[in-house]
Amino acid sequence: MSRPSLSRVACLAAAIAVASAVLATAGAERSIGEQTQRGVLVSSLKGELRPLTLPRDRPAPVAVHLEGRLRTADGSLLPRVTEFAIGLPVQGILSTRGLPVCPLRRLHDTRTGEALAACRGALVGRGRLDAVVALPGQTPFPVRARLLAFNSRVHGRRAVLLHAGAGNPPTSSVLPMLVRPGVGRFGTELVGRIATALGPWPRLRSFEITLHRRYAYRGRVHSFISASCPLPPALTAGFFSFARASYKLAGGGGIATGIARSCRARSLR
Amino acid sequence: MPRPIPIAILAAALLLAAPAPAAEAPTRAEYVERLEAICQPDALATQKAMKGARADVRKERFKAAAGKFAKATAIFGGTVSQIGAVPRPSADKTRLDKWFGYLNRQEEYLRQITAALRAEKGIKAQRLTARFIHNGNLANNVVLAFGFDYCSFKFSRYG
Repeated sequence: MSRPSLSRVACLAAAIAVASAVLATAGAERSIGEQTQRGVLVSSLKGELRPLTLPRDRPAPVAVHLEGRLRTADGSLLPRVTEFAIGLPVQGILSTRGLPVCPLRRLHDTRTGEALAACRGALVGRGRLDAVVALPGQTPFPVRARLLAFNSRVHGRRAVLLHAGAGNPPTSSVLPMLVRPGVGRFGTELVGRIATALGPWPRLRSFEITLHRRYAYRGRVHSFISASCPLPPALTAGFFSFARASYKLAGGGGIATGIARSCRARSLR
Repeated sequence: MPRPIPIAILAAALLLAAPAPAAEAPTRAEYVERLEAICQPDALATQKAMKGARADVRKERFKAAAGKFAKATAIFGGTVSQIGAVPRPSADKTRLDKWFGYLNRQEEYLRQITAALRAEKGIKAQRLTARFIHNGNLANNVVLAFGFDYCSFKFSRYG
């Protein structure tokens, strides 16, 4: 077999480089998700349902993965978010029947490991949170925290507690997200008052969360979130309003980004 | 010796003879305001026209859904030609040309979805819907800095 000539190798390398660049660009475009801009503030959201293929006629356990980000178009300091809400699709069913409850007090002043040890039974999700802490008279510094989501009740109402544990500086905080009926195409909304829970300094930059939990109760398997893909036999995929991240800002105003996604209907037997 | 022409008459004659000044290009903020005023009633009309379309598709009432998509296509086409006639900020010309390219493609997808539903080709309509949503998101990204509300693509408006 003849050895490939140098020019062929160069051509191949160039083709691979071009293909990689195209794929990287496509990936970068995909990774942004849907975006909204109000003034200089840009909000982006992307997410997915796992698995994508679901039964047509009954809900099945699913995981909801969401990634949200705030940035300013001119690189200025992010505004302070006072309230943060995540809308989940009307097709999704949030079930906490038989799921252990983690009281808020059990998570106070706990690191990630301690929070997990205290409330592992109530764990319904994991993720990551990035914020910028802007203290008066100091240069803003970033904080990266691991997120744990626990099933809870706050003032008698269903809630999800978001435990954020950062390593550097070692801090932790808990953000109660109340579960309430959503508006429009969003059947359920998780709403958290950031200002009350975390104080005036952190400025939310991004979050990433996967909500998922399967558990046994009275001999049956339950799921924290379930969904179906209710389509007629003539169709194989459907599109729906999947999620919305909305932020209320200090000083009034806000920004929200909604995303649409598809589900695939399991083939009929 | 000919009589001198009064200066006022001369000035008026010169003014009339001068070519009309070109329509001044608006600022981005003025442009957004003008477009939003056009898009708002159309966006609301689309929402009204498309009410129940997704439920129609889910229940295989494709012809009924086609009728709603046809109305939405007509509204969308009307909006695009109206906003296309508005003078554009000169600094944003390239970007807006790209946006209008996406909008024309959106209109075409709507037309194709209507035809597919009318022919009861559900799978084809579903494929076109995926392209329609993707194209709408691309269109939004092009004019993100404009901060459009009613002129931006929102999936929730379509049934």
